[in-house]
Amino acid sequence: MNFANTPSFTSQGLGPGARLILCVLASLALLVGDSHFGLMDRARDAISVLLYPIQRAVNLPLTAGRHIGDFFVTQAELKQENDRLRSVELAQSGRLMRLQMLERELAQLKALNQLKVGRSDRGQLAEVLYTARDPFSYKIIIDKGLDAGVKPGLPVIDEQGLIGQITRVQPLTSEITLIINKNQMVPVVNLRTGQRTLLYGYGGGVEVRYLSSGSDIRPGDQLVTSGIDDLYQEGIPVARVTRVDRPAGAAFARVLCQSVAGVQSSRYVLILPARSAMPPEPAPAPEPAVKKKKKTTDEDAG
Amino acid sequence: MSYDRPQELLKPIRRRFITLTFTVALLMELLPLPVGSTRWLPDLVAMLILYWAINQPRRIGVGMAFLIGLIADVTTAGLFGQHALAYCITAYLVQLRQNQLVMFNLGQQALVILALLQANQLIMVLVRLASGAAFIGWGYFLPPLIGALLWPLLNKLLLLPYRHHSV
Repeated sequence: MNFANTPSFTSQGLGPGARLILCVLASLALLVGDSHFGLMDRARDAISVLLYPIQRAVNLPLTAGRHIGDFFVTQAELKQENDRLRSVELAQSGRLMRLQMLERELAQLKALNQLKVGRSDRGQLAEVLYTARDPFSYKIIIDKGLDAGVKPGLPVIDEQGLIGQITRVQPLTSEITLIINKNQMVPVVNLRTGQRTLLYGYGGGVEVRYLSSGSDIRPGDQLVTSGIDDLYQEGIPVARVTRVDRPAGAAFARVLCQSVAGVQSSRYVLILPARSAMPPEPAPAPEPAVKKKKKTTDEDAG
Repeated sequence: MSYDRPQELLKPIRRRFITLTFTVALLMELLPLPVGSTRWLPDLVAMLILYWAINQPRRIGVGMAFLIGLIADVTTAGLFGQHALAYCITAYLVQLRQNQLVMFNLGQQALVILALLQANQLIMVLVRLASGAAFIGWGYFLPPLIGALLWPLLNKLLLLPYRHHSV
């Protein structure tokens, strides 16, 4: 029988110091392996299949609670929401009619000019399962994975704008890296001036880097995706400029932005399909995103 | 501090119970909590490791802390080895002074726990900085304070099933 403080005369094996050294070495090896070579991705995929049912089971009480909460909404609330939705629908149907006309017109014009219509409107709705507990990385996990045909690199939006990009696909879930994650890049265009730049996440927010301090950018400018990276469709709202500093003597302006979408708060997200009507790429397989977007800065719009 | 330990004989603690506590703590890591909560929620798994390393040093040592840390890495989807490294180092620090720590009262223990939990956070921050993450602000060192405040409660809770009068 083991009591708490029995002196361990009979204990064998390594002393605590040696064990510590072993464990520290093992974890350092794992750290290096994970951060430099990504060796653990496969292991994590395998584990995630095991983890998924557990996750669902753990989430069950919460989802049940949410459903029960949904069931007991008052009639007044429903009425109010219904009225609001109806007015929104009315407003939107007007815009939709105009949009349909414009789309037809655009298709005709493009057909005339022998351009392909690049924009497809299908999307896949997914529910956010949970946000990763790791406070260093801005990632969320959604309930669609390989089984639903999700591929790494696809953009993800909510009802207001871009929230991120799929970076890791597991059999039943997938991971979205949010645009505010460190070094997550989005090629954007300034709606007011038409200037193309890159929007960088810096861990908790977004900013525009490498914009010369003389360039025309003001607080309040809207940034939308520019669509010249064969990844994001053009025109998805991404961020709004909140502050522009032009420090004397620095080559670049410091442009702080605020993301438009509820990057960390939306419960339902839409996975947009890959852009299909692009000319065949020279590279064999689309790499997950981050490295590919560098070429956008000095390309020209079509 | 009026609460001195050890003051009563406890039933021997089963391995099953230790496993159960860790299972519950790791499952709680999987709970989808509101986003802001990670800013103040203490690391329950780390607190359990410290608790068992103080009170059951023969069961939970450096090696077990390492293994549990690996599981925590998977559940939090962080960097592989980050929790494992932090946990095994703090478990070792506990082992060095275990026979003193176990005689401390809860207030003194809470202070030590505060220092150890901060050491955990510090190790994890350093690991992440080394692997190229941005520093996420001093708010990251808030959860250990709350953890230390909750330490007496955790003790009471874990002793509850092993009081003799509850037989």
